[in-house]
Amino acid sequence: MNLSKRLRTLSDTGDIIREEILSPEGIQEAIAVMARDIAYRCAGDNVAFIGIYTRGVTFARRVAAELKTQGLDYPVGTLDISLYRDDFDNRGSELPRLESSDVPFALDGARVIIFDEVIFTGRTVRAALDGLMDYGRPAKIELAVLIDRGHREIPIQPDYVGKKIGTTRDQYVKVRFHEDDEREGVFIVKKRAGQPHHPA
Amino acid sequence: MGERTRLFKNGRIASADSSDFREADVLVDADGLITAIGSGLATPEGSEVIDCTGCLLVPGMFDVHVHAREPGHEHKETLATCSAAALHGGVTGVVLMPDTSPPVDSGNLVKSAMDLVSEVSAIPMYQSGCLTKGREGNEMAGFSGMASRGVPMLTDADRTVACPDLMRRCMEYACDFDLLVTSHTDTPALSKAGVVNEGRVSYRFGLPGIPAISQELAIDRDIHVAQHTGARLHLQQLSSARGLESVRRAKGAGTRVTCEVSPQHLVLTELDIRDYNTHFKFNPPLRSVQDTEALVAGLIDGSIDLIASDHAPHTEFEKSSDFGSAPFGATGLETSVLVLHDRFIRTGVFGWDLLIQRYSDAPRKLIGLEPVVIAEGCAAEFFVFDPAAETAITREYLRTKSPVSPFLGETLAGKMRGTVLGMAWHGEE
Amino acid sequence: MSELKPRKDLLDIESLDLEEIEYVLENAVPFKQLFQRSVKKVPTLRGKTVLNLFYEPSTRTSSSFEVAANRMSADVTNFTISSSSVVKGESLLDTIETLQAMRSDYIVIRHQAAGVPGIVAKHTGASVINAGDGYHAHPTQALLDAMTIREVYPEYKGRKVVIVGDILHSRVARSTSTLLHKLGIEVAVLGPGSLVPGGRHDFMTRLRSWDEVFDWGPDAVYLLRVQMERQEGQFFPSIAEYHKMYGMNSQRLVRMRELGAYLMHPGPVNRGVEITDEAMRYERSLISTQVENGIAVRMAVLHWLKPETDKD
Repeated sequence: MNLSKRLRTLSDTGDIIREEILSPEGIQEAIAVMARDIAYRCAGDNVAFIGIYTRGVTFARRVAAELKTQGLDYPVGTLDISLYRDDFDNRGSELPRLESSDVPFALDGARVIIFDEVIFTGRTVRAALDGLMDYGRPAKIELAVLIDRGHREIPIQPDYVGKKIGTTRDQYVKVRFHEDDEREGVFIVKKRAGQPHHPA
Repeated sequence: MGERTRLFKNGRIASADSSDFREADVLVDADGLITAIGSGLATPEGSEVIDCTGCLLVPGMFDVHVHAREPGHEHKETLATCSAAALHGGVTGVVLMPDTSPPVDSGNLVKSAMDLVSEVSAIPMYQSGCLTKGREGNEMAGFSGMASRGVPMLTDADRTVACPDLMRRCMEYACDFDLLVTSHTDTPALSKAGVVNEGRVSYRFGLPGIPAISQELAIDRDIHVAQHTGARLHLQQLSSARGLESVRRAKGAGTRVTCEVSPQHLVLTELDIRDYNTHFKFNPPLRSVQDTEALVAGLIDGSIDLIASDHAPHTEFEKSSDFGSAPFGATGLETSVLVLHDRFIRTGVFGWDLLIQRYSDAPRKLIGLEPVVIAEGCAAEFFVFDPAAETAITREYLRTKSPVSPFLGETLAGKMRGTVLGMAWHGEE
Repeated sequence: MSELKPRKDLLDIESLDLEEIEYVLENAVPFKQLFQRSVKKVPTLRGKTVLNLFYEPSTRTSSSFEVAANRMSADVTNFTISSSSVVKGESLLDTIETLQAMRSDYIVIRHQAAGVPGIVAKHTGASVINAGDGYHAHPTQALLDAMTIREVYPEYKGRKVVIVGDILHSRVARSTSTLLHKLGIEVAVLGPGSLVPGGRHDFMTRLRSWDEVFDWGPDAVYLLRVQMERQEGQFFPSIAEYHKMYGMNSQRLVRMRELGAYLMHPGPVNRGVEITDEAMRYERSLISTQVENGIAVRMAVLHWLKPETDKD
């Protein structure tokens, strides 16, 4: 894995890259490992994936695609958690666009794995749990993340982790997938001044 | 402010006859008489010198459509505050509308009003009388009593005599006293619910509209009845082009009809009403751009005889309700000259001579008064105006008791330095 | 995240940008999807207060707002003030003082005088939503109408909608026609000459008869509720004559079917006046969809507006 320091902007937000944590190949590797892990631990269960918008959905779909090549066809639903966040009052001058949450399967009795690309404070996952449970009552809920960057503020821990990294609170970790972004990889970036930051 | 000689130095004297000004000093003696006009006048001992460099001296204006609200509505305005407002606006005489409480519909009430005026007002005020008892539009008021008290005109002020037969009888009887019949031209059945000009603006605001035909029909009716009876007729507050055309035709046929327009109807249109601002709610309403342009042209060519503000104070509280409920009208005495200067004189549309003709001479002539001139041997009655300065129209600037005006918040070109009326100088110094 | 600036109040359609309109209409869709869940609520406005201030009676609109606010987990208070107990003007300012003291986050107001929601909005930091003011505006109705049309016509630009009835007195006609026009939909009106004002918007083409309407080929026909008794006078002879000339009856329904046109109505419906019983069963009626969309749109509006609660 090449961890060379380069100064180049991430063209989507103008953020400046400080360090690359995972290359595209590294991401693929992590997904493959996680898929095997899920297949093993969930063998025989009624499994469903729920991806948290936006990149959690991509992540869930990639893992599901990987599992499909092994003959396991798990459905993927999507969840927009912005209506469940705990910081509605602090939304400032941004106006969030809502996505269509889609849970096209019965949750009762299912083993649901929630997918998000990064876990940080844990608040996003808490909101996702509230949102998910308004759709039904799964038998079991687990959490899969590509990156765990520490600094939890809520007692929530992932069950499946791609890579665990140590970060400082003021750093920004960005996961980019080519389905959603211009480039692919996991980066620690320096934010342009004035950018909003929502700790995940 | 009291009795002393005053020398108005280095000013330019405006008059109705000429668009040129006469550069001269004006000396006013302690009795309020203009004793000398000339250049380089010597300053008499003990006299006050008012430096009029760059300023104009303009004969005092006369406003034939003023609501002073006393007696009965003193929370809106009193004769004293009205007088102060008038002087502040360069107006040295007014005709009072009779829509007080009680309405002035008898000789006794005219006398009480005039007595009160002489006690509290610094300017001459002429009390008009109602056409009908209580302004109800049902029975004629006592014309002979009012005539003997010298009413300048008969009018039901803001109300129309809806019954054509009654209007005809009023005009016939008024002729016996050679009394001027002044009409608020409106057709109540057409305007009853309306609060704004009927058209695109009323549609956009979702407000019931007053169609222009409401005034136009009433103008035609009153003109015809006046022609039939031979009465002298004065039409208040023209607002539409077609109404003006009717007046032109009638004048062309020799009818004794005159008409007035307000500064707001010359300067504002329905498009100026933004955000349901009730300071723009007038009766008759502000109309279209075409109407306003026609009215300006009519003022210039003389089809419109005179300017009258329809000074109609209402408290800010009353004006703060929704547009539909708020009362009609705004104050005008203090803003009329400033607005007309800002919009027309400064831009060269017309000059001070026309303004003096329309807002000083013609109104006085309407009620039989001599014009006011700035000349040796005449009583001093003029205001000093600085065309180069500016006036911010704020609540604090206005001396009326009810600072309601569509021009609030605007800065107008020109500034009133003060008004001379006889011995008194109502000015900043 | 969009570049839209947040807005405190929703008073009319005229002042909205196309961007804002698209934003609300698009957000309304996920809100509508919530209705299929067993838990129809989201906790977004938990702890916030919504005050329903209705000076005119309306069970339909006020309950729609109430449901929307409840589904956002807000606390709702209903104030219905009958017109007899209100002295116009004075009471309004006094009421505003009371409202300020209550520190509501949202005030939904319906009033018979145009411009009143704007006055309230100036005097309070709460987000004011106009639920109908006199003849002037009914913005949430327009939004739900647009949402409904976009559902059945995803390619909505260039589509045609005719509004039938009392155009002069209808705030629904004003707001909905303005919004449809902003979206690029062609708007026409049908109604008696005494109720189709000359000062209407230029884009509201006047059609003179049902034949002309069907020749024009509407994609949707929007019927307005008709009210015969008016304080200002008589505008139309009778209900029977209105129904004969302008009602949606079986013959006109046949033409509707041929065109595949949809039928809309803001409710409540006057059977026998604007529409027959048979027409109420028309398979392409969107009337109940409009009601459902009304809740979704009102949720999206509550989500979008931002009170300035430090202002009071």
